[in-house]
Amino acid sequence: MGETMKRRIIGFLGLALSASLIASACGSDSSSRGRNAVSTDTFASTDTLAIPGTDSGTPTTGGTIHILSQLEQVTHLDPQRNYTGSDLAFAGSTMQRTLVSYAFAPGSDGSQLVADLATDIGTPTEGGKVWSFTLRDGATYEDGSAVTCADIAYGTSRVFATDIIVDGPTYAISYLDIPQDADGNSKYPGPYTAKADQQALFDKAVACSEDGKTITFTLSRVVADFNYTVTLLAFSPVPKAKDTGEKYDMTPVSSGPYKIESYEPGKSLVLVRNENWSKASDPIRNAYADSFVYEFALDPAVIDERLIADAGDDQYAVGDGGLQPENLQTVFTDDRFKDRRQDDYDPYVSFTAFNVKTVSCVEVRRAVYLGLDREALRTAGGGPYTGDFADGYIKPALADDYAPSKLPEGLNTDGTPNVEAAKASLEEAKTKCPDVYAKATVEGLKFFHPDTPIWQKLVSIWIESLKAAGIVIKPTAVEPSKYYPTVQNEETDYDISRGTWGPDWPNASTMIPELFLTTGGFNLTRNGDDPAYKQFETDTKAALDELDRKAQGKKWQALNQFLVDQLWSIPGTFTKAQDLWGSKVGNAYRWSSTGSFLFGELYVKQ
Amino acid sequence: MSTTESAVGELAEYVLIESKSPGRLAWERFRRDRVAVTASFVVLFFVGIALFAPLVCKALGINPLTLDRKALNDFGLPNGPFGAMSRKHLLGVEPGTGRDILARLIYGARISLLVGFVSTLLTTVIGVVLGIVAGYRRGKIDAIISRFTDLTLAFPSLLLIIALTRPFTQRLESLGVPEGNPARLTYIVLVLSLFGWVYVARIVRGQTLALREREFVEAARASGAGHWHMVFKELLPNIWAPIIVIVSLSLPGYVAVESTLSFLGVGLLPPDASWGVMLGDSVRYYRADPAYLFVPGVALIVLVLAFNVMGDGIRDALDPKSDRQQLG
Repeated sequence: MGETMKRRIIGFLGLALSASLIASACGSDSSSRGRNAVSTDTFASTDTLAIPGTDSGTPTTGGTIHILSQLEQVTHLDPQRNYTGSDLAFAGSTMQRTLVSYAFAPGSDGSQLVADLATDIGTPTEGGKVWSFTLRDGATYEDGSAVTCADIAYGTSRVFATDIIVDGPTYAISYLDIPQDADGNSKYPGPYTAKADQQALFDKAVACSEDGKTITFTLSRVVADFNYTVTLLAFSPVPKAKDTGEKYDMTPVSSGPYKIESYEPGKSLVLVRNENWSKASDPIRNAYADSFVYEFALDPAVIDERLIADAGDDQYAVGDGGLQPENLQTVFTDDRFKDRRQDDYDPYVSFTAFNVKTVSCVEVRRAVYLGLDREALRTAGGGPYTGDFADGYIKPALADDYAPSKLPEGLNTDGTPNVEAAKASLEEAKTKCPDVYAKATVEGLKFFHPDTPIWQKLVSIWIESLKAAGIVIKPTAVEPSKYYPTVQNEETDYDISRGTWGPDWPNASTMIPELFLTTGGFNLTRNGDDPAYKQFETDTKAALDELDRKAQGKKWQALNQFLVDQLWSIPGTFTKAQDLWGSKVGNAYRWSSTGSFLFGELYVKQ
Repeated sequence: MSTTESAVGELAEYVLIESKSPGRLAWERFRRDRVAVTASFVVLFFVGIALFAPLVCKALGINPLTLDRKALNDFGLPNGPFGAMSRKHLLGVEPGTGRDILARLIYGARISLLVGFVSTLLTTVIGVVLGIVAGYRRGKIDAIISRFTDLTLAFPSLLLIIALTRPFTQRLESLGVPEGNPARLTYIVLVLSLFGWVYVARIVRGQTLALREREFVEAARASGAGHWHMVFKELLPNIWAPIIVIVSLSLPGYVAVESTLSFLGVGLLPPDASWGVMLGDSVRYYRADPAYLFVPGVALIVLVLAFNVMGDGIRDALDPKSDRQQLG
């Protein structure tokens, strides 16, 4: 709830965050049915705000940009495993090209689709069941060899090797028209172990034309916005001869303007210019800086200090994790920083998930929601800088899918607890589900939280504010880097856990099913046995299959309301994030599709 | 002994010493050490508020867990100068939650002192037993214990303590120690004792080695005294003084180590606080709210200093001829 934002959590959680935790989000409304239907949108939510990174100066070439990080390494550089917003922005703007990308621009412009390795943004046929992309000439890897259609197909095929290529998005598996066995697993095991007949299954679904100029994806069902899907680096080319499987994460071959000079996890990653990249073949990347130094394993407090001090090389530095809450007052009340700070919505929604198997009583879940001091939680995370209280799992920026939801009666809109309403709800539970009532009021609900300084405060607020309503919270601190693997493990016996998620592209199809279907990528609620689940599953599948975007949006709105009524999880905040950067960094704007800096476009101000 | 300043007084003292027990003498020497007496009052004060924390907080109308949103501004930082010190919150409030710092300091003293006392007790008992056994029996047993002491001293204990926190607290919990903070505190006390006894053992062994050659010990041995009698009637009573000094000096050390561990994140779970937890948290706010860092920091310095000065006073009182360097 309302606590902290995921970018901060990224820092705390370090590597573990990787596992598809934070999917990136994307721009633009996706009523795109055809190649020209890219659109106008409100997804970026920056519309009414000035965009501070976009100073009027003319970008200049040269110099070195420093990226300061708390992580031990880039979570994944292997394009097929890359799935955090920051990593997608970093690798996508420097080393990995895709068929289609979001425009490299601030604000809502950054959510438009533009052609990258392709010359168009995709041509759907059969109503969106078959998608083809025409390839651009002249794209090369760092060794000078050409990027071919076969490389894109090969890269995509790696996603199926789920024992080696872990943590990445798996849309290729769920969308491509490849038969499944009785267990629902794809019959294609990935390129490393596939026999000829299995490889043929994949080659049929992802085919290159005779002249190698066109790649065609055949899907198992209509996916009207598949061209948004291929913006994920999971659809990037990988030259088969250079593929080193698991080790490719450390030595990916670059198709972009930069290549790896040295990479030492725990220390630094240095990128230098890829001399074989030509601007002529790349319509979107500008590659102003000569090199990038990604500095790892820094204390978040140190990163903030260095950016505040703005001395030496730090004048050319940006952070990849946002500002710490304790420094917000310093940075946002001092005009010294006014040209190098920003405060903006990111694509994420935070939430607190119940284990519906053990907290099987909606009255108890509602009592927690009503009695929780969400205002205090938000304040601890930085007050309004944390974000707005969420009224569901769909941010208003997803304009087609968002509608204000009707929150439980008695819930205070200012986030303060309504103890009376919480007690009344508990009273109902007393007769209806005495077991869960006893658990909540006597034995205690087990709250698993990451063992980080901010969470030690947040969980104290949980304990203290729910005490007033008669609900007992028993905290369990989990080592930050193991938090998500722990709560995603079916054997962990938590009653309450927490998470943050953002859409992969502007369609709630990448939010609601991922968070609440039992097959979803980030379902912490264990809601499969809930009496309401069958209905939810049927309705969600109907929404996924709905081809009319407006009608689909209405279905997501109804499902969002359904989720707020069921309270399998409690909506937290529509999060915001704050950044500070060095005084000589240009183009420091947040790319709306990922909520991160577009690192490759940063330049050194002369 | 109110008039001891004059030369006559000194003579009188000399005469009087002959008629007093060693304990009485030490007490009188201690009483004359004004710095040590002041330090003792400070220590007593801290122990007192720690023991009666609930009463003290009740009297002051504060609670270590109560949230106070009104004391915070929109950034979640204390809403006023010096960490929002006010009549309601004498030492200000904690950023983020608005909890009263004085109340948390008082309750934190409980935990810090508890860890200090229990660790000191355990290390002293283990150290004295092993030290006396080694010094008294000598030979093979002494060799084994001494090598074991050296081995323990050579361990990179802090690293080990940090690395083993999670597996060991889980093990303790599975052994029936209540989950959460009781298990963590038990772990901290156990590891501090595990690595701390060696310092006591070494000193006690040295003292024992020196004592066992003395005439009265030889006399006892010659008259056929058993091991128990030798240890408990002859040796132990004669090494109480150094043991008391070790205790008084190691206690503040453990309080400080507990703070260090909590600071490094090995310590307590929320919502409870120890001084180390507070210090660890406050460091992040050194820019936005320096008062928050100042309060637990000063409290820790004052307590440790008071214990040390009191310890020095006790040592001087027990053994006026001792060289400070040797025992410290």
